[in-house]
Amino acid sequence: MTETTTAGTEFPFAPLPPADAIEHLKRLMADRPMTKTTMPYGGDVWIVHRNQAARTILADRRFVREPFRTGERIVPFFVPFPDFLRTTLQFEDPPQHTKLRKLVQKAISPRRVRDMRASAVAFANELIDGMIARGGVRNLITEYSVPLPIEMLSSLLGVPSADREKFERWSSSTMAVAGKSEDEVATDLAELSAYMTDLIAQRREEPRDDLLSALAHAREKDETLTDAEILPIAFILIVGGFDNTANFLTTGVMSLLHSDEQRELFLTDPDGLAPTAAEEVLRHGGFALGGPVGGGGGLVPFVATEDVVVDGQLIAKGEAVSIDPGSANHDPEAIEDPGRFDITRKDNPHLMLSHGLHHCLGAPLARMEMQVGLAEIFKRIPTLRLAGEPVVRRDVLTQPMTDLPIAW
Amino acid sequence: MPKVFYIQPDGSETVVEAVAGDSVMQTAVRNGVSGIVGQCGGSLSCATCHVFLAEENADDFAPVSEDEDEMLDCAATEREDNSRLSCQLVLADGQEVRVTVPEAQL
Ligand code: FES
Repeated sequence: MTETTTAGTEFPFAPLPPADAIEHLKRLMADRPMTKTTMPYGGDVWIVHRNQAARTILADRRFVREPFRTGERIVPFFVPFPDFLRTTLQFEDPPQHTKLRKLVQKAISPRRVRDMRASAVAFANELIDGMIARGGVRNLITEYSVPLPIEMLSSLLGVPSADREKFERWSSSTMAVAGKSEDEVATDLAELSAYMTDLIAQRREEPRDDLLSALAHAREKDETLTDAEILPIAFILIVGGFDNTANFLTTGVMSLLHSDEQRELFLTDPDGLAPTAAEEVLRHGGFALGGPVGGGGGLVPFVATEDVVVDGQLIAKGEAVSIDPGSANHDPEAIEDPGRFDITRKDNPHLMLSHGLHHCLGAPLARMEMQVGLAEIFKRIPTLRLAGEPVVRRDVLTQPMTDLPIAW
Repeated sequence: MPKVFYIQPDGSETVVEAVAGDSVMQTAVRNGVSGIVGQCGGSLSCATCHVFLAEENADDFAPVSEDEDEMLDCAATEREDNSRLSCQLVLADGQEVRVTVPEAQL
């Protein structure tokens, strides 16, 4: 059941043309900061629409995830939340969260990522060379958007790039909610665990300059990290690092191909505009593809440990609350002219990578890959164009595109 | 009322009247000062609130903690002697603080 008070402010709402969806969100946010919604699994959750209210909640430690981790509560979500994801960092609260997070953070920090940029540029160009050499109509997803993040994450973790294909299979399997049987998913996950466990053992023996080595040796700095703690970290990086970044990169290329004006602007200075363009793709890319956009649930929820009033609305102790980035990213109070796709936008407080304690751990890496990925392909192939309709896999939680025909 | 002077890398300056008890990061984010991102909301896990603290304010705040020190090593712009994470700079009544925003946070 959804409580709505004013006509035209329903939430959830069915897909509408982007401009209408923006208007709908505007009315919704003028009406109320959040809506109590019943999710297909796990019951009721407050879905928070307004940008500032969302930030307030994300920065408030009275909202925790422990009841979801321990299994005391079912995660209110569209699909049963995969068990293996409930053992990861995003379901930990301080102080355990702080300890794990700090270890990984160092390996994936803005500084470290900056040092990886040159190799990302080189690898992107290798991929482009391949596409140009093969010619004709190419599939942007399998030949560019997916291999780039896989290569970067492999090198960060310390996975040999020869194992890239296996990684891709395991990764997509972990996100399958209907496409694969539970047995198949379990098999893939077991293979991934076994593979990672071996690799961690190798790195314990012979450390290199990579994340798994750093984690495997963290215990020597009195941080007692066990394999059981390292594995979920690797999992969340694999899941978050492949699918999501690949999807954002594809969305970025596609949204630029959909806007002649913004693409022409981008081509005047791809390197200079890549940082703001990447942020704008994160904020608004889904709306810039031209297709209808709906309003539904939000990010992984929290539970209130006490009664908290946010933006005038009481969230009672024990209630679940989730952030809706779709509306928070289009809040006219926080973003000027939110319906406009503007790759030069400077102040862009979108929440696509969340905010607060649980903001995306891989954010620096994801940003860098998007910036490099967008700049390099348009520099090398300025005449890039769409050569067909994208194929979307609807049976997977993240609904990735699997095929995007491009030509030049 | 505390006051914060934010100096951008190009030398331009923004002055913001702050609320005592807020951090230099929160004040920047609430007032749309660009160049201070504060992704983790002040939980010392993002280093996107890096600033250079003016010499005259060096002793106005608690010294760099061990955790802050580690995160400063992760900042996108190379740290300097006067580098601080602005989420750790909590403002007191009447204080006037000058910080310079680095070239890059991400
Ligand atoms: S806001 Fe993240 S470290 Fe200061």
